[in-house]
Amino acid sequence: MVPALELDHVCVSFDDALVLDDVTARIEPGDAVAIIGPNGAGKSTLLRAILGLVPLTDGSIRVLGTTPRLARPRVAYVPQADTLDAEFPVSVLQVALMGRYRSIGWIRRPGARDRAAAMEALEQVDLADRARDRFGVLSGGQRQRVLLARALCQEAELLLLDEPFNGVDSSTQDLFLSVLAAQRERGVAVVMPTHDLSVAHLACGEACLLNQRQYGFGPIDEVLNPDALRAAYATRTLVTPGDQVILTGHHH
Amino acid sequence: MYHLFVEPFAVGFMQRALTVSLIIGAVGGVIGVYVVLRKRAFFADTLTHTVFPGVAIAFVAGGSLWLGALLAGIASAVLFTLSTTNRRVDDDAAMAILLTTFFAIGVMVVSRITTYTNDLVVLLFGRVLTVDRGEIITAAVLGTAALLIVAVLHKELVFQAFDPEGLRAAGYPPVLLDLAANIAVTLVVVAAIQAVGTVLVIALLVTPAAVARLLTRSVGPMIAAGATVGVACGYLGLVISYSASIDHELRFAAGATIVVLLTVVFVVVTLATGGARRLRARRVVTVQ
Repeated sequence: MVPALELDHVCVSFDDALVLDDVTARIEPGDAVAIIGPNGAGKSTLLRAILGLVPLTDGSIRVLGTTPRLARPRVAYVPQADTLDAEFPVSVLQVALMGRYRSIGWIRRPGARDRAAAMEALEQVDLADRARDRFGVLSGGQRQRVLLARALCQEAELLLLDEPFNGVDSSTQDLFLSVLAAQRERGVAVVMPTHDLSVAHLACGEACLLNQRQYGFGPIDEVLNPDALRAAYATRTLVTPGDQVILTGHHH
Repeated sequence: MYHLFVEPFAVGFMQRALTVSLIIGAVGGVIGVYVVLRKRAFFADTLTHTVFPGVAIAFVAGGSLWLGALLAGIASAVLFTLSTTNRRVDDDAAMAILLTTFFAIGVMVVSRITTYTNDLVVLLFGRVLTVDRGEIITAAVLGTAALLIVAVLHKELVFQAFDPEGLRAAGYPPVLLDLAANIAVTLVVVAAIQAVGTVLVIALLVTPAAVARLLTRSVGPMIAAGATVGVACGYLGLVISYSASIDHELRFAAGATIVVLLTVVFVVVTLATGGARRLRARRVVTVQ
Protein backbone atom coordinates (compact mmCIF):
# COMPACT_ATOMS: atom_id res chain seq x y z
CA MET A 1 0.00 0.00 0.00
CA VAL A 2 1.24 3.48 -0.84
CA PRO A 3 1.79 5.54 2.34
CA ALA A 4 -0.34 8.68 2.69
CA LEU A 5 2.68 10.68 3.73
CA GLU A 6 6.40 10.08 3.95
CA LEU A 7 8.68 12.64 5.56
CA ASP A 8 12.31 11.74 5.05
CA HIS A 9 14.84 13.82 7.02
CA VAL A 10 12.91 17.00 6.23
CA CYS A 11 14.74 20.29 6.90
CA VAL A 12 13.35 23.77 6.29
CA SER A 13 15.09 27.06 6.97
CA PHE A 14 14.18 30.68 6.42
CA ASP A 15 17.07 33.13 6.03
CA ASP A 16 19.61 30.68 7.45
CA ALA A 17 17.46 30.10 10.54
CA LEU A 18 16.55 26.44 10.87
CA VAL A 19 12.79 26.06 11.36
CA LEU A 20 12.53 22.30 10.91
CA ASP A 21 15.47 20.01 11.47
CA ASP A 22 15.49 16.39 10.42
CA VAL A 23 11.82 15.38 10.66
CA THR A 24 11.09 11.81 9.60
CA ALA A 25 7.68 10.15 9.67
CA ARG A 26 5.52 7.72 7.72
CA ILE A 27 1.73 7.85 7.79
CA GLU A 28 -0.49 5.16 6.30
CA PRO A 29 -3.97 5.66 4.83
CA GLY A 30 -6.52 5.82 7.65
CA ASP A 31 -3.94 6.98 10.18
CA ALA A 32 -4.32 10.20 12.14
CA VAL A 33 -1.29 12.01 13.48
CA ALA A 34 -1.25 14.95 15.87
CA ILE A 35 1.61 17.39 15.48
CA ILE A 36 2.43 18.58 18.96
CA GLY A 37 4.81 21.33 19.97
CA PRO A 38 5.01 24.81 21.49
CA ASN A 39 4.33 28.01 19.55
CA GLY A 40 7.00 28.55 16.94
CA ALA A 41 7.92 24.87 16.90
CA GLY A 42 7.44 24.72 13.14
CA LYS A 43 4.03 23.00 13.15
CA SER A 44 2.48 25.26 10.50
CA THR A 45 5.69 25.21 8.51
CA LEU A 46 5.49 21.43 8.41
CA LEU A 47 1.89 21.67 7.19
CA ARG A 48 2.92 24.14 4.49
CA ALA A 49 5.81 21.88 3.48
CA ILE A 50 3.40 18.96 3.05
CA LEU A 51 1.35 21.22 0.76
CA GLY A 52 4.50 22.07 -1.19
CA LEU A 53 4.25 25.74 -0.28
CA VAL A 54 7.70 26.07 1.31
CA PRO A 55 10.94 24.75 -0.20
CA LEU A 56 12.91 22.11 1.68
CA THR A 57 16.56 22.77 2.42
CA ASP A 58 17.17 19.06 2.82
CA GLY A 59 15.32 15.74 2.82
CA SER A 60 12.20 14.89 0.89
CA ILE A 61 8.43 14.65 1.21
CA ARG A 62 6.22 12.17 -0.65
CA VAL A 63 2.47 12.71 -0.49
CA LEU A 64 0.20 9.87 -1.64
CA GLY A 65 3.13 8.40 -3.52
CA THR A 66 4.00 11.55 -5.44
CA THR A 67 5.38 15.06 -4.93
CA PRO A 68 3.50 17.51 -2.67
CA ARG A 69 2.77 19.74 -5.66
CA LEU A 70 1.26 16.98 -7.78
CA ALA A 71 -0.67 15.56 -4.82
CA ARG A 72 -2.45 18.86 -4.00
CA PRO A 73 -5.78 18.03 -5.72
CA ARG A 74 -5.98 14.92 -3.51
CA VAL A 75 -5.08 16.81 -0.34
CA ALA A 76 -7.59 18.97 1.54
CA TYR A 77 -6.45 21.79 3.77
CA VAL A 78 -8.64 23.18 6.56
CA PRO A 79 -7.42 26.60 7.74
CA GLN A 80 -8.34 28.15 11.08
CA ALA A 81 -11.71 29.84 10.66
CA ASP A 82 -10.61 33.01 12.43
CA THR A 83 -7.94 33.67 9.79
CA LEU A 84 -10.71 34.40 7.27
CA ASP A 85 -12.55 37.71 6.81
CA ALA A 86 -15.94 37.35 8.52
CA GLU A 87 -17.30 40.33 6.57
CA PHE A 88 -16.68 38.73 3.17
CA PRO A 89 -19.95 38.51 1.18
CA VAL A 90 -20.05 34.76 0.64
CA SER A 91 -22.63 32.19 1.75
CA VAL A 92 -22.03 28.98 3.68
CA LEU A 93 -22.86 26.92 0.58
CA GLN A 94 -20.48 28.98 -1.58
CA VAL A 95 -17.63 28.34 0.87
CA ALA A 96 -18.35 24.60 0.89
CA LEU A 97 -18.47 24.60 -2.94
CA MET A 98 -14.89 25.92 -3.07
CA GLY A 99 -13.86 22.37 -2.18
CA ARG A 100 -15.17 21.32 -5.60
CA TYR A 101 -13.44 24.02 -7.65
CA ARG A 102 -10.41 21.92 -8.57
CA SER A 103 -12.54 19.08 -9.89
CA ILE A 104 -14.89 21.51 -11.66
CA GLY A 105 -11.90 23.00 -13.47
CA TRP A 106 -11.28 26.44 -14.97
CA ILE A 107 -14.07 28.53 -16.53
CA ARG A 108 -16.93 26.12 -15.74
CA ARG A 109 -19.39 26.93 -12.97
CA PRO A 110 -20.49 24.52 -10.22
CA GLY A 111 -23.27 22.22 -11.43
CA ALA A 112 -26.07 20.30 -9.74
CA ARG A 113 -23.75 17.43 -8.77
CA ASP A 114 -21.33 19.83 -7.10
CA ARG A 115 -24.14 21.50 -5.18
CA ALA A 116 -25.42 18.10 -4.06
CA ALA A 117 -21.93 17.12 -2.86
CA ALA A 118 -21.52 20.41 -0.99
CA MET A 119 -24.94 20.06 0.64
CA GLU A 120 -24.16 16.50 1.67
CA ALA A 121 -20.90 17.68 3.26
CA LEU A 122 -22.79 20.44 5.09
CA GLU A 123 -25.23 17.82 6.35
CA GLN A 124 -22.32 15.82 7.77
CA VAL A 125 -21.29 18.86 9.82
CA ASP A 126 -24.90 19.63 10.80
CA LEU A 127 -25.12 22.91 8.91
CA ALA A 128 -27.30 22.07 5.90
CA ASP A 129 -30.03 24.35 7.25
CA ARG A 130 -27.57 27.29 7.30
CA ALA A 131 -26.46 26.84 3.66
CA ARG A 132 -27.91 30.15 2.50
CA ASP A 133 -26.64 32.20 5.44
CA ARG A 134 -23.64 34.44 5.10
CA PHE A 135 -20.47 32.70 6.29
CA GLY A 136 -19.60 35.53 8.68
CA VAL A 137 -22.82 35.43 10.72
CA LEU A 138 -22.00 31.92 11.96
CA SER A 139 -20.19 31.33 15.26
CA GLY A 140 -16.48 30.51 15.25
CA GLY A 141 -17.14 26.81 15.77
CA GLN A 142 -19.75 26.72 13.01
CA ARG A 143 -17.36 28.46 10.60
CA GLN A 144 -14.75 25.85 11.41
CA ARG A 145 -17.34 23.19 10.55
CA VAL A 146 -18.07 24.86 7.19
CA LEU A 147 -14.36 24.71 6.38
CA LEU A 148 -14.36 21.02 7.31
CA ALA A 149 -17.34 20.52 4.96
CA ARG A 150 -15.38 22.28 2.22
CA ALA A 151 -12.58 19.75 2.72
CA LEU A 152 -15.03 16.82 2.83
CA CYS A 153 -16.66 17.56 -0.51
CA GLN A 154 -13.21 17.70 -2.08
CA GLU A 155 -13.11 13.91 -1.44
CA ALA A 156 -9.42 14.09 -0.61
CA GLU A 157 -7.24 11.22 0.55
CA LEU A 158 -5.24 13.32 3.02
CA LEU A 159 -6.79 15.89 5.37
CA LEU A 160 -4.60 18.63 6.83
CA LEU A 161 -6.29 20.54 9.64
CA ASP A 162 -4.58 23.58 11.16
CA GLU A 163 -5.41 23.71 14.91
CA PRO A 164 -8.99 22.51 14.23
CA PHE A 165 -10.01 22.64 17.89
CA ASN A 166 -8.88 26.20 18.61
CA GLY A 167 -11.76 28.11 20.17
CA VAL A 168 -14.52 25.64 19.25
CA ASP A 169 -17.29 24.59 21.58
CA SER A 170 -17.64 21.02 22.84
CA SER A 171 -20.44 20.08 20.41
CA THR A 172 -18.26 21.13 17.45
CA GLN A 173 -15.36 19.20 18.96
CA ASP A 174 -17.49 16.04 19.26
CA LEU A 175 -18.73 16.49 15.72
CA PHE A 176 -15.18 16.89 14.42
CA LEU A 177 -14.09 13.75 16.24
CA SER A 178 -16.89 11.64 14.75
CA VAL A 179 -16.44 13.03 11.23
CA LEU A 180 -12.69 12.43 11.37
CA ALA A 181 -13.25 8.90 12.65
CA ALA A 182 -15.63 8.22 9.73
CA GLN A 183 -13.09 9.61 7.27
CA ARG A 184 -10.35 7.39 8.70
CA GLU A 185 -12.66 4.39 8.27
CA ARG A 186 -12.71 5.21 4.57
CA GLY A 187 -8.94 5.28 4.41
CA VAL A 188 -8.43 9.03 4.60
CA ALA A 189 -5.28 10.02 6.49
CA VAL A 190 -5.38 12.98 8.88
CA VAL A 191 -2.60 15.34 9.97
CA MET A 192 -3.36 18.05 12.53
CA PRO A 193 -1.13 20.42 14.46
CA THR A 194 -2.81 21.08 17.80
CA HIS A 195 -2.14 22.58 21.23
CA ASP A 196 -4.74 20.44 22.91
CA LEU A 197 -3.15 17.23 24.17
CA SER A 198 -6.35 15.66 25.47
CA VAL A 199 -8.20 16.10 22.18
CA ALA A 200 -5.12 14.90 20.32
CA HIS A 201 -5.45 11.63 22.25
CA LEU A 202 -9.11 11.38 21.27
CA ALA A 203 -8.61 12.17 17.58
CA CYS A 204 -5.27 10.60 16.73
CA GLY A 205 -3.53 7.27 17.09
CA GLU A 206 -0.12 8.74 16.44
CA ALA A 207 1.80 11.86 17.32
CA CYS A 208 4.77 13.78 16.06
CA LEU A 209 6.42 15.81 18.81
CA LEU A 210 8.23 18.83 17.42
CA ASN A 211 10.23 21.80 18.47
CA GLN A 212 12.34 22.55 15.44
CA ARG A 213 13.77 19.07 15.64
CA GLN A 214 11.69 15.97 16.13
CA TYR A 215 11.34 14.73 19.71
CA GLY A 216 9.41 11.64 18.75
CA PHE A 217 7.10 10.03 16.23
CA GLY A 218 4.89 6.97 16.71
CA PRO A 219 1.91 5.79 18.78
CA ILE A 220 0.59 8.79 20.66
CA ASP A 221 0.76 7.24 24.13
CA GLU A 222 4.41 6.42 23.70
CA VAL A 223 5.46 9.68 22.07
CA LEU A 224 3.69 12.05 24.43
CA ASN A 225 5.36 10.81 27.60
CA PRO A 226 6.24 13.38 30.27
CA ASP A 227 9.98 13.21 29.65
CA ALA A 228 9.68 13.81 25.91
CA LEU A 229 7.13 16.60 26.43
CA ARG A 230 9.35 18.26 29.02
CA ALA A 231 12.26 18.12 26.61
CA ALA A 232 10.25 19.51 23.68
CA TYR A 233 8.59 22.27 25.68
CA ALA A 234 11.86 22.94 27.52
CA THR A 235 10.93 25.89 29.72
CA ARG A 236 7.54 24.62 30.79
CA THR A 237 6.46 22.60 33.77
CA LEU A 238 4.40 19.47 33.40
CA VAL A 239 1.88 18.03 35.78
CA THR A 240 0.41 14.58 35.21
CA PRO A 241 -2.63 13.80 37.32
CA GLY A 242 -3.59 10.25 36.42
CA ASP A 243 -3.05 9.63 32.73
CA GLN A 244 -3.88 13.19 31.71
CA VAL A 245 -1.02 15.41 30.68
CA ILE A 246 -1.48 19.06 31.41
CA LEU A 247 0.89 21.81 30.41
CA THR A 248 1.34 24.78 32.66
CA GLY A 249 4.13 27.28 33.08
CA HIS A 250 5.09 30.54 31.54
CA HIS A 251 4.92 31.59 27.94
CA HIS A 252 8.09 33.13 26.66
CA MET B 1 -39.00 65.77 -16.77
CA TYR B 2 -38.51 65.21 -20.49
CA HIS B 3 -36.65 68.47 -20.69
CA LEU B 4 -34.35 67.48 -17.85
CA PHE B 5 -33.69 63.77 -18.49
CA VAL B 6 -34.08 63.15 -22.22
CA GLU B 7 -33.60 66.39 -24.11
CA PRO B 8 -29.89 66.80 -23.32
CA PHE B 9 -29.19 63.68 -25.36
CA ALA B 10 -30.80 65.00 -28.53
CA VAL B 11 -27.46 66.34 -29.67
CA GLY B 12 -24.70 64.11 -31.04
CA PHE B 13 -21.90 64.99 -28.64
CA MET B 14 -24.15 64.32 -25.63
CA GLN B 15 -25.16 60.95 -27.11
CA ARG B 16 -21.52 60.00 -27.47
CA ALA B 17 -20.77 61.24 -23.95
CA LEU B 18 -23.68 59.17 -22.64
CA THR B 19 -22.56 56.05 -24.50
CA VAL B 20 -19.03 56.20 -23.14
CA SER B 21 -20.25 57.05 -19.62
CA LEU B 22 -22.59 54.06 -19.59
CA ILE B 23 -19.84 51.73 -20.83
CA ILE B 24 -17.34 52.97 -18.24
CA GLY B 25 -19.99 53.05 -15.52
CA ALA B 26 -21.02 49.43 -16.10
CA VAL B 27 -17.53 48.02 -16.59
CA GLY B 28 -16.06 50.06 -13.72
CA GLY B 29 -18.88 48.91 -11.44
CA VAL B 30 -18.23 45.24 -12.23
CA ILE B 31 -14.41 45.26 -12.16
CA GLY B 32 -14.53 47.46 -9.07
CA VAL B 33 -16.20 44.62 -7.16
CA TYR B 34 -13.07 42.51 -7.60
CA VAL B 35 -10.88 45.50 -6.68
CA VAL B 36 -12.83 46.08 -3.46
CA LEU B 37 -13.07 42.39 -2.51
CA ARG B 38 -9.35 41.92 -3.14
CA LYS B 39 -8.60 45.12 -1.22
CA ARG B 40 -6.67 46.49 -4.16
CA ALA B 41 -8.00 50.06 -4.33
CA PHE B 42 -4.55 51.52 -3.84
CA PHE B 43 -3.21 49.38 -6.67
CA ALA B 44 -5.89 50.77 -8.99
CA ASP B 45 -4.85 54.24 -7.87
CA THR B 46 -1.21 53.43 -8.61
CA LEU B 47 -2.15 52.37 -12.14
CA THR B 48 -3.79 55.69 -12.83
CA HIS B 49 -0.38 57.28 -12.38
CA THR B 50 1.71 54.62 -14.04
CA VAL B 51 -0.12 54.97 -17.38
CA PHE B 52 1.13 58.59 -17.51
CA PRO B 53 4.62 57.94 -19.01
CA GLY B 54 3.02 55.72 -21.66
CA VAL B 55 0.79 58.55 -22.76
CA ALA B 56 3.61 61.08 -22.56
CA ILE B 57 5.94 58.97 -24.68
CA ALA B 58 3.19 58.18 -27.18
CA PHE B 59 2.44 61.90 -27.39
CA VAL B 60 6.07 62.86 -28.05
CA ALA B 61 6.47 60.03 -30.53
CA GLY B 62 3.18 60.91 -32.20
CA GLY B 63 1.69 57.47 -31.57
CA SER B 64 -1.67 56.43 -30.18
CA LEU B 65 -2.19 57.73 -26.63
CA TRP B 66 -4.45 54.75 -25.85
CA LEU B 67 -1.80 52.31 -26.91
CA GLY B 68 0.84 54.13 -24.87
CA ALA B 69 -1.38 54.09 -21.80
CA LEU B 70 -2.21 50.43 -22.31
CA LEU B 71 1.42 49.35 -22.68
CA ALA B 72 2.58 51.36 -19.67
CA GLY B 73 -0.37 50.06 -17.63
CA ILE B 74 0.29 46.44 -18.49
CA ALA B 75 4.02 46.88 -17.83
CA SER B 76 3.28 48.26 -14.37
CA ALA B 77 0.71 45.52 -13.67
CA VAL B 78 3.31 42.88 -14.52
CA LEU B 79 6.05 44.59 -12.49
CA PHE B 80 3.74 45.04 -9.53
CA THR B 81 2.54 41.43 -9.60
CA LEU B 82 6.11 40.15 -9.76
CA SER B 83 7.27 42.44 -6.96
CA THR B 84 4.57 41.14 -4.62
CA THR B 85 6.01 37.64 -4.91
CA ASN B 86 9.00 38.92 -2.92
CA ARG B 87 7.86 38.65 0.66
CA ARG B 88 10.46 41.06 1.95
CA VAL B 89 9.03 44.00 0.02
CA ASP B 90 5.45 44.52 1.08
CA ASP B 91 2.77 45.49 -1.44
CA ASP B 92 2.45 49.08 -0.29
CA ALA B 93 6.15 49.76 -0.70
CA ALA B 94 6.20 48.11 -4.13
CA MET B 95 3.27 50.25 -5.28
CA ALA B 96 4.80 53.46 -3.93
CA ILE B 97 8.06 52.79 -5.78
CA LEU B 98 6.26 51.89 -9.01
CA LEU B 99 3.94 54.88 -8.84
CA THR B 100 6.67 57.45 -8.31
CA THR B 101 9.10 55.91 -10.79
CA PHE B 102 6.58 55.70 -13.62
CA PHE B 103 5.25 59.15 -12.87
CA ALA B 104 8.77 60.59 -12.77
CA ILE B 105 9.52 59.11 -16.17
CA GLY B 106 6.33 60.71 -17.47
CA VAL B 107 7.34 64.08 -16.04
CA MET B 108 10.82 63.79 -17.56
CA VAL B 109 9.33 63.12 -20.97
CA VAL B 110 6.73 65.84 -20.68
CA SER B 111 9.24 68.43 -19.47
CA ARG B 112 10.98 68.12 -22.83
CA ILE B 113 7.89 69.53 -24.48
CA THR B 114 7.85 73.32 -24.31
CA THR B 115 4.09 73.77 -24.24
CA TYR B 116 1.67 71.67 -22.27
CA THR B 117 -0.95 70.79 -24.74
CA ASN B 118 -4.59 69.97 -24.57
CA ASP B 119 -4.01 66.29 -25.07
CA LEU B 120 -2.15 66.02 -21.80
CA VAL B 121 -4.79 68.00 -19.95
CA VAL B 122 -7.32 65.52 -21.32
CA LEU B 123 -5.19 62.73 -19.88
CA LEU B 124 -5.36 64.23 -16.41
CA PHE B 125 -8.97 65.39 -16.29
CA GLY B 126 -10.72 63.69 -19.17
CA ARG B 127 -13.11 65.35 -21.62
CA VAL B 128 -16.17 63.24 -21.94
CA LEU B 129 -18.06 65.77 -24.09
CA THR B 130 -15.63 65.50 -26.99
CA VAL B 131 -15.27 61.72 -27.36
CA ASP B 132 -15.58 60.55 -30.93
CA ARG B 133 -16.81 57.26 -32.38
CA GLY B 134 -13.36 55.71 -32.47
CA GLU B 135 -12.79 56.46 -28.81
CA ILE B 136 -16.13 54.92 -27.89
CA ILE B 137 -15.21 51.76 -29.78
CA THR B 138 -11.80 51.64 -28.05
CA ALA B 139 -13.43 51.99 -24.64
CA ALA B 140 -15.95 49.27 -25.52
CA VAL B 141 -13.26 46.88 -26.70
CA LEU B 142 -11.07 47.44 -23.62
CA GLY B 143 -14.08 47.16 -21.33
CA THR B 144 -15.22 43.94 -22.96
CA ALA B 145 -11.74 42.46 -22.60
CA ALA B 146 -11.73 43.33 -18.88
CA LEU B 147 -15.18 41.76 -18.40
CA LEU B 148 -14.07 38.62 -20.25
CA ILE B 149 -11.11 38.17 -17.90
CA VAL B 150 -13.22 38.33 -14.74
CA ALA B 151 -16.02 36.25 -16.27
CA VAL B 152 -13.60 33.43 -17.09
CA LEU B 153 -11.81 33.56 -13.72
CA HIS B 154 -14.74 34.59 -11.53
CA LYS B 155 -14.85 31.68 -9.10
CA GLU B 156 -11.08 31.52 -8.67
CA LEU B 157 -10.77 35.29 -8.13
CA VAL B 158 -13.47 35.24 -5.44
CA PHE B 159 -11.87 32.17 -3.81
CA GLN B 160 -8.52 33.96 -3.78
CA ALA B 161 -9.98 37.15 -2.29
CA PHE B 162 -11.71 35.13 0.44
CA ASP B 163 -8.99 32.61 1.29
CA PRO B 164 -5.64 33.20 -0.46
CA GLU B 165 -3.86 30.51 1.58
CA GLY B 166 -6.60 27.98 0.84
CA LEU B 167 -6.33 28.81 -2.86
CA ARG B 168 -2.59 28.16 -2.82
CA ALA B 169 -3.12 24.94 -0.87
CA ALA B 170 -5.61 23.81 -3.52
CA GLY B 171 -2.84 24.13 -6.09
CA TYR B 172 -3.91 27.25 -7.95
CA PRO B 173 -1.24 29.63 -9.32
CA PRO B 174 -1.85 32.81 -7.29
CA VAL B 175 0.59 34.94 -9.28
CA LEU B 176 -1.20 34.25 -12.56
CA LEU B 177 -4.57 35.08 -10.99
CA ASP B 178 -3.13 38.30 -9.54
CA LEU B 179 -1.74 39.21 -12.93
CA ALA B 180 -5.02 38.54 -14.72
CA ALA B 181 -6.99 40.62 -12.20
CA ASN B 182 -4.44 43.45 -12.34
CA ILE B 183 -4.57 43.50 -16.13
CA ALA B 184 -8.38 43.66 -16.03
CA VAL B 185 -8.07 46.75 -13.81
CA THR B 186 -5.50 48.23 -16.20
CA LEU B 187 -7.87 47.80 -19.14
CA VAL B 188 -10.63 49.70 -17.30
CA VAL B 189 -8.28 52.50 -16.26
CA VAL B 190 -7.14 52.98 -19.86
CA ALA B 191 -10.71 52.72 -21.16
CA ALA B 192 -11.86 55.44 -18.76
CA ILE B 193 -9.09 57.97 -19.43
CA GLN B 194 -10.97 59.84 -22.14
CA ALA B 195 -14.13 60.09 -20.04
CA VAL B 196 -12.79 61.19 -16.67
CA GLY B 197 -9.00 61.33 -16.90
CA THR B 198 -6.45 59.53 -14.76
CA VAL B 199 -7.06 61.66 -11.69
CA LEU B 200 -10.71 60.70 -11.40
CA VAL B 201 -10.86 57.20 -12.88
CA ILE B 202 -10.20 55.58 -9.51
CA ALA B 203 -13.60 56.84 -8.31
CA LEU B 204 -15.37 54.87 -11.06
CA LEU B 205 -13.54 51.71 -10.07
CA VAL B 206 -13.93 51.94 -6.32
CA THR B 207 -17.00 53.98 -5.39
CA PRO B 208 -19.78 51.99 -7.18
CA ALA B 209 -18.37 48.74 -5.79
CA ALA B 210 -18.06 50.25 -2.31
CA VAL B 211 -21.72 51.31 -2.48
CA ALA B 212 -22.65 47.82 -3.72
CA ARG B 213 -20.69 46.29 -0.84
CA LEU B 214 -22.88 48.20 1.62
CA LEU B 215 -26.11 47.16 -0.07
CA THR B 216 -25.57 43.45 -0.73
CA ARG B 217 -24.54 40.26 1.05
CA SER B 218 -23.14 38.12 -1.71
CA VAL B 219 -20.93 38.58 -4.72
CA GLY B 220 -23.49 38.09 -7.52
CA PRO B 221 -25.88 40.82 -6.36
CA MET B 222 -22.87 42.98 -5.50
CA ILE B 223 -21.73 42.87 -9.14
CA ALA B 224 -25.25 43.75 -10.35
CA ALA B 225 -25.49 46.61 -7.85
CA GLY B 226 -22.01 47.92 -8.73
CA ALA B 227 -22.85 48.05 -12.43
CA THR B 228 -26.22 49.68 -11.73
CA VAL B 229 -24.70 52.39 -9.53
CA GLY B 230 -21.97 53.04 -12.11
CA VAL B 231 -24.45 53.33 -14.98
CA ALA B 232 -26.97 55.43 -13.04
CA CYS B 233 -24.33 57.89 -11.83
CA GLY B 234 -22.79 58.10 -15.31
CA TYR B 235 -26.16 59.06 -16.73
CA LEU B 236 -27.30 61.39 -13.92
CA GLY B 237 -23.87 63.06 -13.73
CA LEU B 238 -24.21 64.07 -17.38
CA VAL B 239 -27.79 65.28 -16.82
CA ILE B 240 -26.74 67.42 -13.86
CA SER B 241 -23.70 68.84 -15.63
CA TYR B 242 -25.77 69.66 -18.75
CA SER B 243 -28.66 71.18 -16.84
CA ALA B 244 -26.30 73.25 -14.69
CA SER B 245 -24.62 74.78 -17.70
CA ILE B 246 -27.71 75.26 -19.92
CA ASP B 247 -30.34 76.20 -17.33
CA HIS B 248 -28.25 77.82 -14.62
CA GLU B 249 -25.12 78.95 -16.43
CA LEU B 250 -22.91 76.99 -14.03
CA ARG B 251 -20.13 75.17 -15.83
CA PHE B 252 -19.58 71.79 -14.13
CA ALA B 253 -17.07 69.50 -15.83
CA ALA B 254 -19.05 66.38 -16.75
CA GLY B 255 -16.50 63.78 -15.56
CA ALA B 256 -15.99 65.54 -12.24
CA THR B 257 -19.76 65.82 -11.75
CA ILE B 258 -20.10 62.05 -12.18
CA VAL B 259 -17.40 61.49 -9.55
CA VAL B 260 -18.94 63.92 -7.04
CA LEU B 261 -22.35 62.32 -7.58
CA LEU B 262 -20.89 58.88 -6.88
CA THR B 263 -19.43 60.18 -3.63
CA VAL B 264 -22.77 61.69 -2.63
CA VAL B 265 -24.45 58.33 -3.27
CA PHE B 266 -21.75 56.59 -1.22
CA VAL B 267 -22.20 58.95 1.74
CA VAL B 268 -26.00 58.69 1.63
CA VAL B 269 -25.90 54.88 1.45
CA THR B 270 -23.32 54.70 4.24
CA LEU B 271 -25.50 56.84 6.50
CA ALA B 272 -28.68 54.97 5.52
CA THR B 273 -27.26 51.46 6.03
CA GLY B 274 -25.47 52.52 9.21
CA GLY B 275 -28.72 54.07 10.44
CA ALA B 276 -30.65 50.91 9.57
CA ARG B 277 -28.11 48.80 11.45
CA ARG B 278 -28.34 51.02 14.52
CA LEU B 279 -32.12 50.90 14.31
CA ARG B 280 -32.08 47.10 14.19
CA ALA B 281 -29.63 46.97 17.10
CA ARG B 282 -31.87 49.27 19.15
CA ARG B 283 -34.92 47.14 18.38
CA VAL B 284 -33.10 44.04 19.60
CA VAL B 285 -32.18 45.86 22.81
CA THR B 286 -35.78 46.97 23.31
CA VAL B 287 -37.09 43.45 22.77
CA GLN B 288 -34.68 42.13 25.36
